[in-house]
Amino acid sequence: MVDVSQHELVPDHVLLDPEEVDEVLAEYDVTRTNLPKIKRTDPALPDEAEVGDVVKIVRNSRTTEEAVVYRLVVS
Amino acid sequence: MQTPKVLGGIDFGLMDPETYRDMSATKVITADTYDDDGYPIDMGLMDPRLGVIDPGLECRTCGSHSGSCNGHFGHIELAAPVIHVGFTKLIRRLLRSTCRECGKLALDEAQRDEFRDRYERAQELGDDEHDVLKAAVRQARKASTCPFCGEPQADIKHEKPTTYYEVQDVLSGDYSERIAAAMQPDEEEDDPGTSPQELAEKTDIALDRVNEIMAGEFRPRKEDRRAIEKALDVDLTEEDMNKLMPSDIRDWFEDIPDEDLEVLGIDSEHSRPEWMILTVLPVPPVTTRPSITLDNGQRSEDDLTHKLVDIIRINQRFMENREAGAPQLIIEDLWELLQYHVTTFVDNEISGTPPARHRSGRPLKTLSQRLKGKEGRFRGSLSGKRVNFSARTVISPDPTLSLNEVGVPDRVAKEMTQTLNVTERNVEEARQYVRNGPEAHPGANYVRRPDGRRLKVTEKNCEELAEKVEADWEVNRHLVDGDIVIFNRQPSLHRMSIMAHEVVVMPYKTFRLNTVVCPPYNADFDGDEMNMHALQNEEARAEARVLMRVQEQILSPRFGGNIIGAIQDHISGTYLLTHSNPEFTETQALDLLRATRVDELPEADGVDDEGREYWTGRTLFSELLPDDLSLDFTSSTGDSVLIEDGQLVEGTIDEDAVGAFGGEVVDTLTKEYGETRSRVFINEIASLAMRAIMHFGFSIGIDDESIPPEAEEQVDDAIQSAYDRVQELISTYEAGELESLPGRGVDETLEMKIMQTLGKARDSAGEIADQHFGDDNPAVVMARSGARGSMLNLTQMAGSVGQQAVRGERINRGYEDRTLSHYRENDLSAEAHGFVENSYRGGLTPEEFFFHAMGGREGLVDTAVRTSKSGYLQRRLINALSELEAQYDGTVRDTSGRIVQFEFGEDGTSPVKVSSGEGDGIDVDDIVDRVVDAEFESSDEKERFLGERAPPTNLSEHSGPGLNKASGVESDD
Ligand SMILES: [Mg+2]
Ligand SMILES: [Zn+2]
Ligand SMILES: [Zn+2]
Repeated sequence: MVDVSQHELVPDHVLLDPEEVDEVLAEYDVTRTNLPKIKRTDPALPDEAEVGDVVKIVRNSRTTEEAVVYRLVVS
Repeated sequence: MQTPKVLGGIDFGLMDPETYRDMSATKVITADTYDDDGYPIDMGLMDPRLGVIDPGLECRTCGSHSGSCNGHFGHIELAAPVIHVGFTKLIRRLLRSTCRECGKLALDEAQRDEFRDRYERAQELGDDEHDVLKAAVRQARKASTCPFCGEPQADIKHEKPTTYYEVQDVLSGDYSERIAAAMQPDEEEDDPGTSPQELAEKTDIALDRVNEIMAGEFRPRKEDRRAIEKALDVDLTEEDMNKLMPSDIRDWFEDIPDEDLEVLGIDSEHSRPEWMILTVLPVPPVTTRPSITLDNGQRSEDDLTHKLVDIIRINQRFMENREAGAPQLIIEDLWELLQYHVTTFVDNEISGTPPARHRSGRPLKTLSQRLKGKEGRFRGSLSGKRVNFSARTVISPDPTLSLNEVGVPDRVAKEMTQTLNVTERNVEEARQYVRNGPEAHPGANYVRRPDGRRLKVTEKNCEELAEKVEADWEVNRHLVDGDIVIFNRQPSLHRMSIMAHEVVVMPYKTFRLNTVVCPPYNADFDGDEMNMHALQNEEARAEARVLMRVQEQILSPRFGGNIIGAIQDHISGTYLLTHSNPEFTETQALDLLRATRVDELPEADGVDDEGREYWTGRTLFSELLPDDLSLDFTSSTGDSVLIEDGQLVEGTIDEDAVGAFGGEVVDTLTKEYGETRSRVFINEIASLAMRAIMHFGFSIGIDDESIPPEAEEQVDDAIQSAYDRVQELISTYEAGELESLPGRGVDETLEMKIMQTLGKARDSAGEIADQHFGDDNPAVVMARSGARGSMLNLTQMAGSVGQQAVRGERINRGYEDRTLSHYRENDLSAEAHGFVENSYRGGLTPEEFFFHAMGGREGLVDTAVRTSKSGYLQRRLINALSELEAQYDGTVRDTSGRIVQFEFGEDGTSPVKVSSGEGDGIDVDDIVDRVVDAEFESSDEKERFLGERAPPTNLSEHSGPGLNKASGVESDD
């Protein structure tokens, strides 16, 4: 099986710990459910990701060096 | 005085029939409208309690007159309940998921709770709740018996639009025959048959009972039936369809408990499902369906009224028949008819139902038809509507106007007004407008006294009225020069399709605009019309001036470059002026710069043979540039352009320098010197270019595309040798020696190679033609400078038109194995497949002309299809994105606060604020910080140095500080 998370076109998906999640939520003044979503079954996610977790995705951007996106893991 | 109120929210739901009755102004019992004297009949469809439409009459419900009374609903008591067509899907869903006996949702507690949780979670996450509801219904439908009362559940069949059946498998009438047939021995299949004893053993039924069943004397019970079916592998059932009448459904729905509705996504507090079955029909107020009086005095009723008449008639017949004890069949027919009329009253475009028609055969426009579609209430009357203070006429060009201006015909200016609030300071001005009357130009059409009374200004009363005008009056004066208006050309595909212009009142009937604003509007002057809107309050005028004025839109948010700039002849003009850097005498130079603010020539560039001073084209162009502008870039002509300290040192000024769609000079000027400076530059470059092109003279004729005979011979040779090569390819192919390219068949390879060869032939024809054109050939000037046309167009005119293609291939259609009957079958040659050897100037042969028309047709069809497709795509995109908004924290969110982008465009920058040049990788901020830190010791000093410098305001070309049209241009920033 190919591990897509190792592919160069797949950006890093990092699980945030609860404190970091709170920081993000505070920074943007949002509730968890207002974040963009990602399916639990998405192969780019780390294996230990669970529904309700928040991942930080750092991807290359056409307009800027790096773009950071947070996504809520949903079922 | 009404006080404004804030809407807390809106609840959508069904309405209780009791509420209909409470709201109703009257019960409607008679289908007649007016009596013989023309008065509305009481309790008829035009009852005066339903509101008034005739002026002078008084509403019997609220007492007000037509215009101030909005009308009041009435109601019809339906003789029997009918289904509301708008809810047929929901009704079906409820029938399928609830128990026919006790009304409970056929899910056990655990399942119910699970679906409720899933529903809530979907709502929270913004997923589609419908998916959950559908899943719940699917689950409940599976239950064969009710988990609460044990009643077996039937499947529901829905016959569109409004009929429902319960389908049950019941014992077939011929069950004994079927059993006997199955017990017969079958020799072909080696089946020995079944004896009654064996059957009794297999099914555990007593033998005499089996015999009774086989004799048709006893109907087997369900368990026995199943056992026999299993033992004999036979189906003993038939479908039994039991029609559910609306009254049955209503009774059924009344039993559904509130908690179960919640799981099905229905808010029982606002909507009980039994209300989907109508027992009372609301009658819309008369104002909703006004009747019109025709010329002959006859009244013509609205479609809705016609439909209501039908409903009342059938309703009455239904009641009469039922009271007379008519047979069930007749009652059912009438019931169905009532259902039909109520259905078409709500929606007259239901598939499977013939639409109700007017006497003339035209389908009636009923409730749904009023709301749906482009012309409907939502898209036609609410999202977009016809407005006052607007004008529309043909547009034409006027190069003497500034790009910020629009020429408005005087007759438009005299019709559209601006409200002037009279104060002590402008009372004289206001009186003058009124004194001029409505006919003379800057006049006035109406005045409004402080007591609120509006008076029309006429030729007769204007003198008199002018003396009465005092402070606190309002004067509706004509549009005058300098007023701000909004200007628009459809289709409004981007922000720049609607821009604010300053009015210049002019004679004649067209709107005039500077040709440089054609690209943003995508306008030309072949009959295009545009709309103008006069703004009616100070807030709107201020916003239009600051945000919408043309000069604020020079940079396009689409690609970050300028969309307004020189076009077409402007570009030919600057090319002629700067390419070979011609020399001009003083008179000529001053003439070229006449329409600009430059009224003194710089030092002369030299002295000609006769001792007269001369100025070069590049020097004159440089006069329009700011003194400190430095730039270098490559022009579309191909030479490198160098501008140093506001002087064009070398290079050609063409599309890449001053053109719309990212001209380097205009772009830099806008970004570094501001919109105002850029506007002045574009205006002036357009004027200078027009003067230049007129100085040299510029025209194109048939001889400009002709090449000398020896060149024509060369072209013929080139094409002939291509023909020979094609022939070679064909011979190789026919000999089976053609080697196919990787991944392609031999046929494809041949086609590709032929296409390639012929393509090259056209190119070389073009090159030959090209060599014989002078640099001053107008077509060449236009193609090189980027003004219009391309070298390919020139090649096709002078050299060879080349291969015609349909669907990207040589032309292969027409007759069997050939394109036209002029050719042999399976002829693979160039001329038989649409290669046009001739040039447009030389003229096409009939066959060539035909092939060319084939290719041309494809192009036309493509554009027609593309525009309609892209229009729809655009609409969907706009609808999808319209509620997204960049927030002050830089995120992009939708209206419910969900984040779409964490940083607008991932870099948080507006495309129009970004430099269009390639990034040089220098951190300017960092350098500035270092320099400033080293320079200033105290932070106070630093602050004073860095302090905000606001650019001077310039909101009009007709007045105000900064650049003033009348007093000449000062440097702005
Ligand atoms: Mg046109
Ligand atoms: Zn009323
Ligand atoms: Zn039940």
